[in-house]
Amino acid sequence: MIRRVTLLGHKDHGKSTLIGNLAIITGSVTEARINDAKKTSKKLGLQFEPGFILDSFYEEREGGLTIDTTRAQIKYKDSAFEFIDVPGHEELTKNMISGASYADVALLMVSTKKDEGIKPQTKRHIFIAKMLGITKLVVAINKMDAAKYSEEIFEEIKHDLSEYLSKIGFDRNNVAFVPISAYTGEGLIKNSKNMSWYKGATLIELLKKMSEKKEISRIELAVLLQGEIGRDKKIVAGKVVSGVLNNHSQIMLLPGKELFTINDIVVRGGSTNNAVYGENVAIVLDKEPKNEVRGKVLVEKDMKKKAVREIVAMIFFIRKISGHVSLLINGSKIDCMNIEIIKTIDIVTGKESELKIIKPLGAIQARIRLNKEVFVEDFQEMPELGRFVIYDNDKFSGIGVVEVKK
Amino acid sequence: MIIQDIKELEEKSIYIIREATNNFKNVAALWSMGKDSTSMLMLARKAFLGKVPFPVIHIDNGIDFPETYKFRDELAKKWNLDLIVAKSEIKPEMSGFACCGANKTVALKKLMKEKGFDALIVSIRRDEHGIRAKERYVSPRNKEFKWNYKNQPAEVWGNYLSELGKGGHVRVHPLLDWNEIDIWNYTKQEKIPMNPLYFSRNGFRYRSLGCTHCTVPIKSNAKNIDDIIKELETTEVEERAGREQDKEKSYVMEKLRALGYM
Ligand SMILES: Nc1nc2c(ncn2[C@@H]2O[C@H](COP(=O)(O)OP(=O)(O)O)[C@@H](O)[C@H]2O)c(=O)[nH]1
Repeated sequence: MIRRVTLLGHKDHGKSTLIGNLAIITGSVTEARINDAKKTSKKLGLQFEPGFILDSFYEEREGGLTIDTTRAQIKYKDSAFEFIDVPGHEELTKNMISGASYADVALLMVSTKKDEGIKPQTKRHIFIAKMLGITKLVVAINKMDAAKYSEEIFEEIKHDLSEYLSKIGFDRNNVAFVPISAYTGEGLIKNSKNMSWYKGATLIELLKKMSEKKEISRIELAVLLQGEIGRDKKIVAGKVVSGVLNNHSQIMLLPGKELFTINDIVVRGGSTNNAVYGENVAIVLDKEPKNEVRGKVLVEKDMKKKAVREIVAMIFFIRKISGHVSLLINGSKIDCMNIEIIKTIDIVTGKESELKIIKPLGAIQARIRLNKEVFVEDFQEMPELGRFVIYDNDKFSGIGVVEVKK
Repeated sequence: MIIQDIKELEEKSIYIIREATNNFKNVAALWSMGKDSTSMLMLARKAFLGKVPFPVIHIDNGIDFPETYKFRDELAKKWNLDLIVAKSEIKPEMSGFACCGANKTVALKKLMKEKGFDALIVSIRRDEHGIRAKERYVSPRNKEFKWNYKNQPAEVWGNYLSELGKGGHVRVHPLLDWNEIDIWNYTKQEKIPMNPLYFSRNGFRYRSLGCTHCTVPIKSNAKNIDDIIKELETTEVEERAGREQDKEKSYVMEKLRALGYM
C-alpha cells in the first residue's frame, strides 16, 4: 500500500524543500538526481535547493514557483509514501485541487518567518482539503532554524491555527503539529537536539500514523455505472462504491427503478461470485436497460432511497460563474436550472453570513435544481456518490459536496 | 524502487481505459511492442472481456529490431489485435530528436487525420522521466499535437472528463501510476508475452526499447523476469539512460512532449 500525502500551504513556506530533503535523507533518490539539483542551484546562483530534486518545468525552476502538481515516491523503513507537491499560488488553485484530491492525508507547511506565518492562502488550502474529504492533517511548523528553534513561536502558531481548524470542523484527534526545518532536515525522521522541548513523534512517523487506511465497512450496495461494454447493451461496466455485489442477485437501477437479475460478474478479467468495494466490474444483466446507463447507480432491489432533482450542497468556487452552469456528477454532466444560495462562508475567517453572492475563492451552501434526476448520497457517508465538479460554460469553476439531512 | 499493490494499479488502469472508450468516440492505442504498451493491452483485454476493443498503432520507421517485428506479428495474431502500421520515413543519419520526435509525429499526425481518432491511449509511466510526473491521466493536445502544460485541465476525484479542443485529441494514460518494477511483476503474474530483447544475451539486455538508432543495451545478466526484478530492486541507474534523446537531459524531454512527442 502506498500512502498518498498532499502538501498544502502558502508558496515559499517550504513544500518543495521538504519533499526534496526527505527524498535525500531516506535514500529515495539517486545520486545522479541530487547532483543534477546541485548543478541547477549553482547555475541559478543559489545555495543548494533540495526542492530542485523534484521534477519541474523549466519555468518553475527559473521562476521559483510551482505551476503544476508533481509526485515523488519516498520509502521509509517498511512504508511507501507518495508526496504530491501542489502550487501554493491562488491563481493555481485548480491544479492544487487536482493534486490534493488523490490524497489520504494532508501535510500543511507553515513557516515561522516573521512575514510568512499563517496566510489567507494557508487557510484556503485547509478548507479545500477538508471539502475534498481529507480528514487527517499533519501541520509542520517549518523554518524553525530561522526562528531560533523557539518553542514559544511554535506554540503561538499552533494556537492560532487550532482555532481555525476547529471552526471549520476538523477533529482535534486527527490533527498533529510538529516543528521542523525542511532545509536542515531536523524533525523529519529524527527529533532534533535543538528542539528538545518537543516530545512528540517525528514528521514521518506522524504521517505514517495518520495515513493508516481505514476499513470501509458500509454494507448497503451501490455500483456506479460507467457505461456499456462493447455493443451488447446487456453488459455494463461500473465500480462498486459500497457493499458487496453478488452474482444471481436482483438489483435496481436508479434513477428509473428498472429491475434486473445479474447473470455474471467479471472482475479483472475473470468471472466471480461477488465483487467488493473499489472493484471495477463488468456485469452481465438479464436484459438490456431502457436508456443509457452512464451516471446511474445499481442498488439493492428493495432500496427505499430515491433519485432526486434537487440537492443541497456545499460549493467552493475558484472563479465567478456567469453563464451556463452544469455539474459533473456520478461521471456525467447535468445542467443546473437554478442555484439558490442558503448561506455564504468566508473561508479565511470561517464566518458564515446571509449574503447571497458568489465570490471567487469563496464557498456557499446552496440548493441546486437540476434538469435531470440523479441518485446521490451524503458526501460524509458515501463520498463517491456525494461529490461533483462545477462547470460554467464548460470551464472548470469549482467543486461541491452533497449534504443529505438525516 | 517502490513496489506497489498490483491489484490496486490494475483496478485503476481498467477504470481509465473504460473511461476512454466511454467518453470518446474513436479511440486508438499506441503500441511500441515494449513492456509498457504490451501490459496495457493485457489490461485492455481484461477490461473488455478478452478482446482489445480499439485499433493499436505501430509507428514504424523501418528500423526497429527484427525481434520486435516478429514479436509484433505473433502477438497481433494471438490476441487478435486490430493492428495499424503507420510507416514513417527515416534517413540514415537521423537519431534522437529528429527521429523519435519530428519524424514519428508526422506519421502519427497523418494517420490521426485519416482515421479521425479523438483519443489516443499512450502507455507512459510517471516514474519514467521527470516531466512525465506532471502528466494528467487524460490530457488534451491541440491540432498541432501541442501539450499546453501550463494550463492543464482539472482532474478532481478521478473525474477524467477532459474538454476536447477543436481539431485536437486527448492522450489517455492508464499506466501513469505504475513503476517499472510493477510492470515486471505484472508481466510475471499474467505471463504476458515479452519482447526477447529485454532479456540478457552475451551480458547485455535492453531496459527500455526504442528503435535501433537510439537505444543502447545495458550491461546485465538478467536472463528472465525474476532476474530483472532482482536487478531493479537494487539499481541506481535510471531506466531511460540508454536512450539517445534523453541524453541532453536538460528539458529536451519537456520540449519533445510539448511538441507532441509521445
Ligand atoms: N531557513 C530555512 N529556509 C527554508 C526552509 N525550508 C525552505 N526554506 C527556503 O524557503 C524557500 C521556499 O521554499 P520552497 O520549498 O521552494 O517553498 P514552496 O513554494 O512551499 O515549495 C527556499 O528558498 C528554501 O530554501 C527551512 O526549514 N529553513
